[in-house]
Amino acid sequence: MKIGLEVHVALPTHSKLFCSCSTADVDEPNTNICPICMGFPGSKPSLNEEAVRIAKTIANALNCKINQSISFVRKVYFYPDLPKSFQITQLQGSIGLEGEVTLSSSKVHIRRIQIEEDPARVIREAKYTLLDFNRSGIPLVEIVTDPDIVSEDQLREFLFVLRSLLYYIGVDIDKEIKADLNISLAENRVEIKNVTGIKNLVDAARYEIKRQSEIIKSGGVPEKETRSYDEKPQSTISSREKESDEEYGYIYEPDLSEFSVSGLTVPEHIVDARKVSRELAEKHNLDYKTLLELIAFDTEAMSLLRYGLEKSGLPADVVVNALEAKKRFGKAVNEKSLPLLADYIQKGIQIDRDVIMRIEKGMPPAEVEVSNEDTDKYIKEELSANPEFIEKYKKNPKVIDFMVNTVSRKHGIPQKKVADRIKHILAEYLK
Amino acid sequence: MTYVNEFLKKEKPADYYSKLLEELEEKNNKFHAFNVLNKRISDGFPISVKDNICVKGMETTASSKILKGYIPPFSATVIKRLEKDGFSVLGKTNMDEFGFGSFGINCEVPARNPFDETRVAGGSSSGAAVATSIMKYHAAVAESTGGSIAAPASFCGVVGFTPTYGLISRYGLIDYANSLDKIGFMARSSGDIRLLMSKSVGVDPADTTSVDVKLSDVKKEKIVVIDELYDKIDKNIKLSFDSSLSRLSAAGFKVQHVSIPEIDYSVPVYYIISMAEASTNLAKFTGFKYGLKVDDFSKEYNEFFTEAREAFGEEAKRKIILGTFIRGASVRSKYYEKALRIRRIIRDKLSKVLDDSFIISPTMPVLAPKAKEAESFSPIQNYSMDLLTIPPNLCGFPTISLPSDYIDGLPVGLQLTGGQFEDNGLISFGEQWEDSFKYKFKYNIGEL
Repeated sequence: MKIGLEVHVALPTHSKLFCSCSTADVDEPNTNICPICMGFPGSKPSLNEEAVRIAKTIANALNCKINQSISFVRKVYFYPDLPKSFQITQLQGSIGLEGEVTLSSSKVHIRRIQIEEDPARVIREAKYTLLDFNRSGIPLVEIVTDPDIVSEDQLREFLFVLRSLLYYIGVDIDKEIKADLNISLAENRVEIKNVTGIKNLVDAARYEIKRQSEIIKSGGVPEKETRSYDEKPQSTISSREKESDEEYGYIYEPDLSEFSVSGLTVPEHIVDARKVSRELAEKHNLDYKTLLELIAFDTEAMSLLRYGLEKSGLPADVVVNALEAKKRFGKAVNEKSLPLLADYIQKGIQIDRDVIMRIEKGMPPAEVEVSNEDTDKYIKEELSANPEFIEKYKKNPKVIDFMVNTVSRKHGIPQKKVADRIKHILAEYLK
Repeated sequence: MTYVNEFLKKEKPADYYSKLLEELEEKNNKFHAFNVLNKRISDGFPISVKDNICVKGMETTASSKILKGYIPPFSATVIKRLEKDGFSVLGKTNMDEFGFGSFGINCEVPARNPFDETRVAGGSSSGAAVATSIMKYHAAVAESTGGSIAAPASFCGVVGFTPTYGLISRYGLIDYANSLDKIGFMARSSGDIRLLMSKSVGVDPADTTSVDVKLSDVKKEKIVVIDELYDKIDKNIKLSFDSSLSRLSAAGFKVQHVSIPEIDYSVPVYYIISMAEASTNLAKFTGFKYGLKVDDFSKEYNEFFTEAREAFGEEAKRKIILGTFIRGASVRSKYYEKALRIRRIIRDKLSKVLDDSFIISPTMPVLAPKAKEAESFSPIQNYSMDLLTIPPNLCGFPTISLPSDYIDGLPVGLQLTGGQFEDNGLISFGEQWEDSFKYKFKYNIGEL
């Protein structure tokens, strides 16, 4: 099985790729338009340098060779959303060539990263079609991979990794990833066009893999074709269109002279959440996936994690708990509030909105005295809810930590006290 | 001497512009120089604008039915610059549809030659040349892809100037072939060209191929004739050209002959590149955003735009079909990419010659043909008429076409080619030429 992708990412610029129209989301259709993005006769494109700079940053992050002098081509096809009946895009002169993305157990090669313009939005009604040219000319990069992905898991990992890489270089794609999927189980390549979102991409791939393997099992050969994905029944449908390069009739875009990108600065150090998570997980004996989830798409969380583990002197599990709180309560959890928050966590107090408000006011946890009797009662309740616990404990006394945490958190009793009482109770049980 | 300065100095009657328009309207019925006349012109030196250059608020069709009714919401950069400097748009001039032609006959109502109404005006900037030939105080903003300024200028006996590619912004020009298109001028004297150039050149952020350079006024004593081109000129034109060369020798120029065998590839290379680009430029005309509108929205998009595109003329359709073929993946390297390489080779060869000399030739290899005769030419015959104007146009070198003789009452043109950015050197050559050669005009509309 081979899966390749053509991922489309809208670049976060203020103006469009070839004109000064705004890229802002507006409700009123056809308001952010001008003769250039409408393709009026006599208008000409002029290149938005900021879009090129961001594209160069992406190419750099995906380990591409950077083309120092980029050029554009015209891709000609007739469709109502394409105002000039050709799209300005890139081929040999693409900003990035021959890159790669490293996954946990494999590599995905990037064939090229090209800058191109988005067509208009097509709104289909029952009896007519509407066009919104606000989207026409929005800068995109298309990331074209080799067909290196060989499983659904790898596809999911690649998309996640790609999104996090983009995020950490400042390309915060608020809109979902859009991509065309190329899947071939046998010789012929099937292209599934315009799938939006990581979940849909993975679902579409799963369906298509199943569809093709069933054809093969019954002795058939999947046809070379273009299909589209339908979310509702989760299936792919043949689009009955066959396009080849022949029909696009590429020529160099003669209105844009070659553009040198050597003067465009890109961030030198790309913060890689995966690398940070892996290093910290190893060093502090934590779970890599948990850490990655805590800091992915949140640079503040990443620096707080680093601070918590490396500088605050707090136990790793407390820091992880604090990060979990940060995920829910945001900015209130920071370097300054971390020590106080740690007090609450260590006392086993459930962190909720009230606690966060107390922390913001600088109030320490209230001393709640829970009697030994009550504590014992809570522990016994928990033990009878988990009848298998005793057996587990016999094999591995370490599981006691789990029980301590649970009771302590649920009832706001300091961990040490709970631990003492549990040991006392267990000792009796095991006599 | 410039007609612009003469015009500015002269006292003008209050009804000057209305009289001018009146007379032009009447003459236009005969010569068809203008597609649109600007009835509101009331001051400034009159300039006409080729109908493929956008003027805000004025119908601009490039003489194509498919653009009927297109009123651009903006003006071309060159028009904005000239309007700021005291020039006023008098109207839009007739042309071969989208610039596709050498005789001005590929349009609804072809312009006619003021020296003989049965003959063509030349193309594609036919109306620009006719307007310059019949009006005393006027200059034309025109455009050349492969010779569209020089050819009609020579047939109508006016000065035609095609600048170095990139010197004048193309923003606002309805493209024929973007890597070849150059906006330029026609006038009755080289001095007027110098003035128009000084107001028009300079980098424009809206056209990324425009350049910012200081033009030098180079003087060259050596002028070179390319043998391969000389051999293909009509006999009567050759005789006239030889006498022009003698005149230049007498004036102290050194005339030399060189052989550049590669020059023979200029015409096919030019048509391959220009058709490939033209076919992409024409793709945008689909009949629903501007110009001709198809009202029947019940059709599928493919049927809908196919119907709209029936409005293209025959030559436009030929360029779409051939251009689309040339771009096809299976032949692209054989034609398009090879043509791009040969263009570079020819440019290098000519560049070397132009290091220390100007290249000289007649502008056209024939006298202006009769309209009936031109209509019977095959496409190949048509294309080969451009053999003298294509080499410099293909390479983006500047040229000036100067009236140099009159055979049986018909003007003959002399074409000088300079190196890149030697535009002012060519204009100086023209001024020197005009010191000893007086141009003839049959009409002087707007005389003061």
